[in-house]
Amino acid sequence: MTRWQRRQFTDYAAKALGTAATLFGLFWLAWILWTTVSRGLPALKWTLLTQPTPPPGSDGGLANAFAGSVLMSALAVLIGAPIGIGAGTYLAEYARHTKLGAVIRFVNDILLSAPSIVIGLFVYELMVRPMGHFSAWAGSVALAFIVLPVVVRTTDEMLKLVPVTMRESALALGVPQSKLTRQVLYRAALSGIVTGVLLALARISGETAPVLFTALNNQYWAGSLNEPTANVPVVIFQYALSPYEFWHALAWAGAFVITMLVLVLGLTSRWLVARHRQNP
Amino acid sequence: MSDASITPLSITPRRIPSGALEAADKITVRNLNFYYGDSRALKDINVVVKEKHVTALIGPSGCGKSTLLRVFNRMYSIYPKLRAEGEVVIDAQNVLDPGYPVNQLRTKVGMVFQKPVPFPMSIFDNVAYALRHYERMTRRQLEERVEEALKSAALWPEIKDKLGHSALGLSGGQQQRLCVARAVALKPDVLLLDEPTSALDPISTGRIEQLIDDLKNNYTVLIVTHNMQQAARVSEFTGFMLLGELIEYGSTSDMFTRPSNKKTEDYITGRFG
Repeated sequence: MTRWQRRQFTDYAAKALGTAATLFGLFWLAWILWTTVSRGLPALKWTLLTQPTPPPGSDGGLANAFAGSVLMSALAVLIGAPIGIGAGTYLAEYARHTKLGAVIRFVNDILLSAPSIVIGLFVYELMVRPMGHFSAWAGSVALAFIVLPVVVRTTDEMLKLVPVTMRESALALGVPQSKLTRQVLYRAALSGIVTGVLLALARISGETAPVLFTALNNQYWAGSLNEPTANVPVVIFQYALSPYEFWHALAWAGAFVITMLVLVLGLTSRWLVARHRQNP
Repeated sequence: MSDASITPLSITPRRIPSGALEAADKITVRNLNFYYGDSRALKDINVVVKEKHVTALIGPSGCGKSTLLRVFNRMYSIYPKLRAEGEVVIDAQNVLDPGYPVNQLRTKVGMVFQKPVPFPMSIFDNVAYALRHYERMTRRQLEERVEEALKSAALWPEIKDKLGHSALGLSGGQQQRLCVARAVALKPDVLLLDEPTSALDPISTGRIEQLIDDLKNNYTVLIVTHNMQQAARVSEFTGFMLLGELIEYGSTSDMFTRPSNKKTEDYITGRFG
């Protein structure tokens, strides 16, 4: 075998191994998606949105669980996103080259990869035990802890992507930093920051552990934010483990809806990022 | 190859208008030193910039000409570890004095950068941006000021019907003139141009140079340029810098026809740089 042939062989082998590894990963992903679609799609029905979760042995919908999830996710974003954008702005604009900034970034990255069950337990100790009961508030706060580091990170990164020349151009007009941030940098980084919030929303819409320890579940409609509240992930968890066919079908339907939601959020954020790159 | 060393001076400088030398002093720089951390980037600069004339700073890359320009509006102060020592006196006040409010300085000394950077907003808002911050005025007055600024930047006829459009849709040359409009909207005294045409095509460059000629009726213009022909075309005064020192400074015609320093002559005749 000549040297050239040997090189060509190595090249083919590397390409083949890489392709095989990719296909292996995609295979499972496709399988998961296929199972979710093939089991979830037939289980879809209008009563999912109109009827609450059924008692054992009977049929019903997921209306209370969807409402609970939407409510808690929205509250979590309302709590987590502004704080995250504020902190991200601080990191990018005021603490960019400082030691403190580096430490905060490091800690934020730890929070970003913290197991969500730890966050669930933490909020259980922080809110559920002192209050004496599970609640939608506790659930929202737990989810907000997951939103926070994602938004901090993306805001920081997106602001850092705004070219130095744009900062200089605004400062050269004698405009103070606060005005530069609000009127120029946020505008320039808007789609990136929104993308961060959407990604955070996608992440929390399927989180189970944090809400399991905080909002728990509710067979019925919750009367207020201070009561245990039904939510899709925990309902899926409980119904999937049940012995009833009806409940299995509901769990699959819930899983299908969440998967599609995450897919749509993912595509939207990718589209926003692409648009941002073309027209920064 | 030896022919290159005897290339005659082929750049024709503009005539220095009579009275230029008697013009009032606008900026007086005394014993200016500038440091990036421990490294000294400007060495004992002393220079006087004449009011309502164009002064060009030339020199090879890294000679400190942009650094000097960015001292005049204290642009360097947004970065850590940069500091200037000495005096830059504008209208009898040392603007390097920490007590001199930097944002006020920047309304008096405007700047246009190498790469045009329109803000991500409409053409109108780009020009009105700083005006809104500094002056209380009615919508009508604001519109007048924006129009005036766009006219003095020679951009008005092209964009007067699309003031509400995004500034990002303008061509590179138009964007640079928009940046000039943005800077002159505040009616500064001094305009700093940091290689304003190096990212532009020849036609846009021509328009900017023409614009510089008009601007000097109202503003003291300082321009940093890599292009010696440009310095010769647009300026009345030229400073040649090398390794952080101001080697020679004087009327542009003298600099380009009979430089008194050997290094200036070498640079101008293309022997290095």
